[in-house]
Amino acid sequence: MPEILVTLYEVLKRTYPGFLDAVVITLQLTAVGVVLGSLLGLFFALLKLSKSKPLQWIANIYITVIRGTPLIVQITFLYFGIVEFVTLSNFWAGAIALGVHNGAYIAEIFRGAIQGIDKGQSEASSSLGMSKTQTMKRIVFPQALKRSIPPLGNQFIIALKDSSLVYVIGVAELFSIANREAAQSFQPFETYLVVGLYYLVLVMIFSFLLRLYENKLDVDKD
Amino acid sequence: MLTAKNIHKSFGELEVLKGIDLQVEPQEVVVLVGVSGSGKSTLLRCFNFLEMINSGEIIIDGKQINGKKDNLNKIRAEVGMVFQHFNLFPHKTVLENIIEAPMQVKKKKKADAIKHAKQLLEKVGLSDKADVYPSKLSGGQKQRVAIARSLAMEPKVMLFDEPTSALDPELVSEVLAVMKQLAEEGMTMVVVTHEMRFAKEVADRIIMLDEGRIIESADPKTFFENPSHDRTRQFIQLVE
Repeated sequence: MPEILVTLYEVLKRTYPGFLDAVVITLQLTAVGVVLGSLLGLFFALLKLSKSKPLQWIANIYITVIRGTPLIVQITFLYFGIVEFVTLSNFWAGAIALGVHNGAYIAEIFRGAIQGIDKGQSEASSSLGMSKTQTMKRIVFPQALKRSIPPLGNQFIIALKDSSLVYVIGVAELFSIANREAAQSFQPFETYLVVGLYYLVLVMIFSFLLRLYENKLDVDKD
Repeated sequence: MLTAKNIHKSFGELEVLKGIDLQVEPQEVVVLVGVSGSGKSTLLRCFNFLEMINSGEIIIDGKQINGKKDNLNKIRAEVGMVFQHFNLFPHKTVLENIIEAPMQVKKKKKADAIKHAKQLLEKVGLSDKADVYPSKLSGGQKQRVAIARSLAMEPKVMLFDEPTSALDPELVSEVLAVMKQLAEEGMTMVVVTHEMRFAKEVADRIIMLDEGRIIESADPKTFFENPSHDRTRQFIQLVE
């Protein structure tokens, strides 16, 4: 076996207890990020689609500001920037920043999907006497959600990888641990390769699950 | 049953309906005809408030629309609408499509809604399709489900907006047969269609719209054999 593979294997073996703990934290950060992001995304998508101009502005300001500034700035702002007003643990500052950041992108995903549903659907629903809320909740949104799944899946993968930026506020997720390990072992080449491998495997598992789910939806309905 | 008084409707600068007066009696079948752009579909859509009129009055079964949402949804529930492109809910099975509004709007119990839905499916000849999704149906079957879905709300009036225009020719008759049966059962119907045979056989009255006005309103025999307006004569020559 080439020497490089042997060293890689040794690094993998030596570091895996620490890395597995870090994987859990990375997944927790991502989970909070995507759940919070989806809720915020739905909320702001509905604001943007409302008939009220002020509500549309609020949504536009959120989306413009959050998409227009780097995530790393948002993370450090939430942790160091607002310390006079609220103190958040580094995990929660990072998780909330991830959620707020992804919310802006997810809002646009939902908005596009909702607008993409044929107008005949809401007309049919209204003509049956269903209210606007019933129409959105039971007819339009379920269809929009199904269409959102591929772009949402993409966004979740981005969130998973972006969680690495939380290393700047010292959360013990994968990339922080990799930095520490690289510095202590003087093996940056192997360590960063290994951590890359962790992310790659996580993304592949997630993509696989997503594809299973998409196939299941298609088999059911089409 | 359905009264329209001096209806005006514009889309921006374009005035589509220029003062429509129309009275549809209970159990009457009225067919609206006219060239494309004459305003017939718009008029139909005004009857269940998918388009809001600019002025005039629409009275359905003695109830006038008062602009409140509650009132609007209630009146809509009494007016069934069948669309050119069916507009079935693709994420729900045939049965779920039919029980949706009775359960959500009329708060019917699920078992009752299902029982009624199955009767309606039998009526339109699709009892075996209750559990399939709309994507598995032919156009004619979709439209028959759409009719059953509307009937599930037990409407007082049924509106049909070119119900067979999107169908392959061989599927038209199965939909028309269901509509004819409904008419025979005494359903009040307003139908926009290009099917002149249906108009001749089923309509009590045929109304011709031209540039946003009613120019002819007569029983089928008079309409086809002795129309009063030149435009009607031209139209009949075009379609026959």
